Amino acid sequence: MERQASDKNILNQFCNDFCEILEDHVEYIVVSGFVAIASGRTRGTEDIDIIIREMKRNDFEELHKNLVERGFVCIQSPDSDEIYDYLKNKTSVRYSRKDVPLPEIELKFGKDKLDDYQFKTKERLPLIGLNVWFSSVNMNVAFKEELLKSPKDLEDADYLRKIYKDRINEEEIGKVKQMINELRL
Amino acid sequence: MRETHQDQIERWADFVKNNPDKWRSIHNQFINSLFQNHQRIYKELSKTREGKKKLIEIYGIKNLEGFPSLQD
Repeated sequence: MERQASDKNILNQFCNDFCEILEDHVEYIVVSGFVAIASGRTRGTEDIDIIIREMKRNDFEELHKNLVERGFVCIQSPDSDEIYDYLKNKTSVRYSRKDVPLPEIELKFGKDKLDDYQFKTKERLPLIGLNVWFSSVNMNVAFKEELLKSPKDLEDADYLRKIYKDRINEEEIGKVKQMINELRL
Repeated sequence: MRETHQDQIERWADFVKNNPDKWRSIHNQFINSLFQNHQRIYKELSKTREGKKKLIEIYGIKNLEGFPSLQD
């Protein structure tokens, strides 16, 4: 059954609206805490982390222009050149709706083989009811258990393991953990 | 024995799995209340110059064009 707009909470609607614009410009994946929260985990958050493929300056300018036309603003700067420089320097940039600082999107360029692999294994998650791309459940579990490791992240990982029991693949999680150790630790 | 936080998370995960028609509205209310409360505080603080300063600092806002309520 097609889900109605009213089924979406403020955070889901925000993510949906932002990703709808990204979809026309660049490959993207929603990662980390939002995957657990949108899957029903009851905890607070202020941001949604999104990784996009690295873009050329002109292409990013188009994307930024489109975001602004649709009511989003970059919290750090109105200037697409400056925002692009942040992204190129591996600094994330934050977008929110105009005059509403929260929730916010934390956006960054993919940076290494591990991010490439996240793009390659991205998936839709029907439970969430959003037509957006997520990094895989196995990826999220591996990142939270091997790299992030805060109590909140470990609880997220436990929750994802339970809620997506049918998608959990220990071999895949182990492989990603190994990549994390090689590339990020 | 007192329920631990981990027990609560597992109990809620079971509820989500076993009640596909019920969990979303409860969850939506929880998430919406967080942001509605934030929006209320934002509006209240942005009425005064001191409040605007606080908000700009808290959220690290450098693009004031995007936040008309925070402009003097």
